[in-house]
Amino acid sequence: MTDLGRRARTVRDSIGTFLRGVLPKRGRPVEQVFAEFRAVMAAHDQALEIVADIGEKLGGEYLFDVVYLRSSYDLLVARIAAMIEGFDSLVEGKYPGLGQVSDLIDREVRRLLYDLTPPGSALVLSLDEMTWERAAEVGGKISQLAEVRNHLGLLVPEGFGVTTGAFDEFIRHNGVDQLLETAGESDPAAWGPAIRERVLQGTFPAALTAAIADAVAKLVDRYGADGRLAVRSSAVEEDGDYSFAGQFETVLNVPLELELVLNAYRSVVASLYTEGALTYLRHLGMNPAVSRMAVGCLLMVPARASGVLYTRDPAAPGNQLIISAAWGLGAAVVEGSAEADLVTVARGSALSIVETRIGRKSVTMVPDEGGGTRSVETPALKRGVSSLSREQALELARQALRIESHFRRPMDIEWALDHAGRFVILQARPLRLPQTGPDAEARDQPVLAAPVARLAGTVVQRGAAAGRVFVLRSANDLEKIPHGALLVARHDSSDFIRVMPIVSAIITDAGSPTSHMAALCREFRLPTVVNTGTATAVLTDGQDVTLVADEQGAAIYEGLLREVLRTAKAAAEMKDLYEFRRKRSVLTYLTTLTLLDPDDDDFSPAGCRSLHDILRFVHEKALLELLEGASRGVRSRTMVRLDLPVPAGILAVDIGGGLKLDKGAKFAGPTQVASRPLRAVLAGLLHPGAWHTESIALGMGELFGSMMRMPDITDAAASSNIAIVSKDYLNLSIKFGYHYSVLDCFAGETPQQNHIYFRFSGGATDMAKRSRRVELIASVLRDFGFAVRIKGDLLVARLDGAGLERSSALLDQLGRLIAYTRQLDAVLTSDEKAAAYAVKFLEGDYVL
Amino acid sequence: MEQHRVMIIDDERIVGDMAKMSLEQDGYLVETFLNGEAALTRLGQERFDVVVTDLKMKGIDGMQVLKAVKTLHPGTPVIMITAFANLDTAIAALRGEVHDFFPKPVKIKELKASIGRALEKRA
Repeated sequence: MTDLGRRARTVRDSIGTFLRGVLPKRGRPVEQVFAEFRAVMAAHDQALEIVADIGEKLGGEYLFDVVYLRSSYDLLVARIAAMIEGFDSLVEGKYPGLGQVSDLIDREVRRLLYDLTPPGSALVLSLDEMTWERAAEVGGKISQLAEVRNHLGLLVPEGFGVTTGAFDEFIRHNGVDQLLETAGESDPAAWGPAIRERVLQGTFPAALTAAIADAVAKLVDRYGADGRLAVRSSAVEEDGDYSFAGQFETVLNVPLELELVLNAYRSVVASLYTEGALTYLRHLGMNPAVSRMAVGCLLMVPARASGVLYTRDPAAPGNQLIISAAWGLGAAVVEGSAEADLVTVARGSALSIVETRIGRKSVTMVPDEGGGTRSVETPALKRGVSSLSREQALELARQALRIESHFRRPMDIEWALDHAGRFVILQARPLRLPQTGPDAEARDQPVLAAPVARLAGTVVQRGAAAGRVFVLRSANDLEKIPHGALLVARHDSSDFIRVMPIVSAIITDAGSPTSHMAALCREFRLPTVVNTGTATAVLTDGQDVTLVADEQGAAIYEGLLREVLRTAKAAAEMKDLYEFRRKRSVLTYLTTLTLLDPDDDDFSPAGCRSLHDILRFVHEKALLELLEGASRGVRSRTMVRLDLPVPAGILAVDIGGGLKLDKGAKFAGPTQVASRPLRAVLAGLLHPGAWHTESIALGMGELFGSMMRMPDITDAAASSNIAIVSKDYLNLSIKFGYHYSVLDCFAGETPQQNHIYFRFSGGATDMAKRSRRVELIASVLRDFGFAVRIKGDLLVARLDGAGLERSSALLDQLGRLIAYTRQLDAVLTSDEKAAAYAVKFLEGDYVL
Repeated sequence: MEQHRVMIIDDERIVGDMAKMSLEQDGYLVETFLNGEAALTRLGQERFDVVVTDLKMKGIDGMQVLKAVKTLHPGTPVIMITAFANLDTAIAALRGEVHDFFPKPVKIKELKASIGRALEKRA
């Protein structure tokens, strides 16, 4: 016996023993189980196609409207409902809860598609109560913090959120909604102040006062009356796609007294209607009248040090993260007024500190006795030393990387170090990295004379700008900045939002790439350089200059070199459109796959966060049910491992005349397969040259990217490839490497009854390569006469009515194709290559 | 290079926003409108090289926009996009009144190609 055969036998024996030992013997014949399985999978397949279609149509290449979304969603929901009903029957109620979770998802999707406010929403939610599907009620900022606590077990401040439902009540109670309606589309500068005033003088509905009083009392009970709150905004749109960095008010150090908390709430809500916030909303194309704000009330952390961490360095997108840190409360760092310490940490398997730059930290922000905060001069002794030790920086970096891997994107994290030396996460939101577009066109750039100056410091947003220098001497002068000016200032400030739409660049002497202003400049794609040390000295008010900020740093040229601008302008992208993002947010509940590892505890109905998760769960468990059905009560002959010369790891389940086994045989070689379609597919899989044994090197980034998406796909998973066979029938589910294919076919004597259905999806490499592989497979299958449909990286091919001989020939080719394309996408570096490989395949040349 | 003016009319903001961003990258001058009324007012003031309109809108719908364009600027091609392709649009298209029509979702590339053809034909 081959080594492989022995291994296969062991696996089969252990599965069989396990299943026979644990499962009750039930009376359902395997044929019935199989019929139910097929019905479930039919609904599953249709639903999966709709999910893929929606994903494709919302990908940015199509103009779509909500009519399309609603009608597609209705179709999808009907298929999902049919699938769950069939599934519950198939598994005899073994996995309850899919109906409930799909109802939760449905509620959120309908809220997005029909702009509904969820009925019966709470006014106040504690962090414990903030489960994923309630994110919309407490806004992005607070719900993400709750997730950091509830899922990762990291330390975050205790507290509660006042929901968007409460916001609606408050706004209505004070007639603000009517004021907004009257204001309509007119200039917000005209009506902003009146609305702000109305909010600041606003009264609270009794139920809201009671709910907040109750939440405050609970905090006093648990943590004592001495605690202070940070009351901060958590607007619905403030989910990190848009940072709203520094635009909304945060009231720090609020005593746990109802009146003071209510006051802070008023101030935070009023900040939705400040000039800066309204400028920002307009920039995003959002309507202030429908913007809603939840408010977080979180206990202040008495901080020894605090600051901001970016899990990627926006200025140097290598493999490193950056921490800015200062003594005391963090507001000094995020507002850009403290020259913070800057620690650069190399990511990778072992974290290491690359560089620690000690900032001057001339001021420290501390809580004020009566509430609020104040700046004090930092003692000389503390100025010269780093506010974080090496060990602390590394510990913080580790926590940050856990957060990044949970949210699966680069993150912008506010943190504090308490007096017990523990890190507390104050905020975690996605980090926007600068566009790298302009560099690609560097060749086309005009040749320039030598720059008159090169600036030190950090390029926050690359780009070029030509204009008149405006040196800002006092914050009051912001009003005087002319259109198109280059704003030159001593410090960075999030107040600059007010002029971001009109200035062409911002350059500062001091400042941090992690400040609110930096985040905003990246969103506005405004060329920005901070921490130059000398800008206000080098540049003169009224001087005409051109700034070029690129990966080499920032250079200043004499005069207005407009030809530089054309090539340097970063192209806007669909995802910058507010409406586009808003509509796309529905994908969170439809196409996002969070349920990845079948061995994970979360791989359960309750762990499903999207309809795609439900589909995946049902697929996995329906297959398992089939295996169990086959192993239960029926002779062991019905399930055997195929012993093949290639490591395909296929388990064959015979539902009638599909295998010819000797008595007591526990595995089957190719000659013992009686199923005509399986024989044909195996002939293809084993065709000389089609199965490549050498693995093709993946770039580290690609592998990392795919691991983030589908960590379950390992060699071990190959053992779950399943072939359900009868004499004329084959249903083959195969996971090879990084992709999934399903082949369902009937190949008998009557051509009219015959069909071949083939589905293919997934892949390890980047989207472009994956879709090239899908295109390659599509062109090959079309050549064979299949009808092929492609949605994103999902391919569905079908061919009906082929005679037995032709069916067998086609299945042989499919077998070769499945073998051949296992790792193909790693080498598909261009569309031309994909076309060339398709031609080679059709000519029988399988060399990669 | 001469810049062509394109008018986009659709009662869903996202359609105009996406079309505008995408066409501007190709150098078109684009104005978007959320209803037929505002679009007709603008058409009274300004000639556009191509008009892209949604069919089904409250108030003045795509067919009325088509008629108005034919009266005001007979040479201006009209492209219809619609979630509901019906007999009326099909007939209008057959009569050659509509330059093209597309069911939504429409691939932006195809819409751009159609606009390009419309401009060629007009020239």
